[in-house]
Amino acid sequence: MNKELPYDRILQECLRGELRVVNAHLPCKQKLLSDLLREEFPHLVCNDGSTHLFKKKELKYLAGLLDSKEQEELPLPLLIEVNPGQDQMAILCRSRSEEKVISRVLNMIVKPRQNKIILHSPHLALLRKHLKTTTQYLFSPDIL
Amino acid sequence: MPQLIKVRPTKIELIRLRRRLSLSQRIQKIVKDRLSILTMEFLQVARETVEAKENLLASFAEAYKAQSIVTGYYGYIALEKELVASEKDIEIAGGSRSIAGTVVPSFELEESKEVVRRYNLVDTSSWLDQSAQLFEKCLEATVTLAELQSSLERLGREINRTKRIVNALEHLIIPSLVETIKYLNMMFEERDREEKSRLKRVKVLIERR
Repeated sequence: MNKELPYDRILQECLRGELRVVNAHLPCKQKLLSDLLREEFPHLVCNDGSTHLFKKKELKYLAGLLDSKEQEELPLPLLIEVNPGQDQMAILCRSRSEEKVISRVLNMIVKPRQNKIILHSPHLALLRKHLKTTTQYLFSPDIL
Repeated sequence: MPQLIKVRPTKIELIRLRRRLSLSQRIQKIVKDRLSILTMEFLQVARETVEAKENLLASFAEAYKAQSIVTGYYGYIALEKELVASEKDIEIAGGSRSIAGTVVPSFELEESKEVVRRYNLVDTSSWLDQSAQLFEKCLEATVTLAELQSSLERLGREINRTKRIVNALEHLIIPSLVETIKYLNMMFEERDREEKSRLKRVKVLIERR
């Protein structure tokens, strides 16, 4: 009587896997832009043990937007926080350098609120177009 | 009509089902968000793939045109003699990156450290230099296209998989959980009513004695 339907059980397993997968790609630790620029193959180790490779072109592009002091403050990858059921997403912003990078890439003035820069989908698409490997999605821990 | 889940009609099962329902609803939100991100990325990659393909075709057309001029100028044998010495391995940095949990490849053509080309610069003309430069562009465009096409395929597969999960949650799991919870609630209410009427009946019987 208590036995679940096989299809139901399979779906439950699928869903458990989905929850595991959703934030597994996040880096164990962010690296600074200045450090990444010095590496021959700039990369990071993720929570699931995989490596995330940064493109040198993107790093050079970012370096061109910032001065040397700001390069030492910019942690990469930039984390884009996804909140459930909302059209807007937020970029976690701890220093002025993130704000400057996003302003320059989007070509508009952005103001952080509570250490977050709120972005809408069109802006996000533009940001991801320019910064493919230097940005990463983060599913908000509040919903997990 | 959603199917009822076969469970024992007990309060414990009702609590378990409620927990499962709240978990499923949370997962549905996450999966839906993931699907919208993947779709956005897929469209972006698709657009870039089209651009990269056009770019590749244009680069190859230009490069072959330049090469045919060089070949006409020097002849096959003389050109081949020059180019044999200039052969070199290409270096591609390969890795992976993740888009909302989907692993896609990332390739980058390493910039050549050699500034001077290996063929004889004295005996050859600028046509050959131009041709070589154009073929280098083709190489870069090929690597970019390889990365984009592979990403496109993987994102497409992941979107299909995620869509199936969203549909299963939306049309099967959540409705059947809601329906089963509703059924169990009704059953418990019915039991309560039965219990009350039984007690009333017992009370009447005791009073008659």
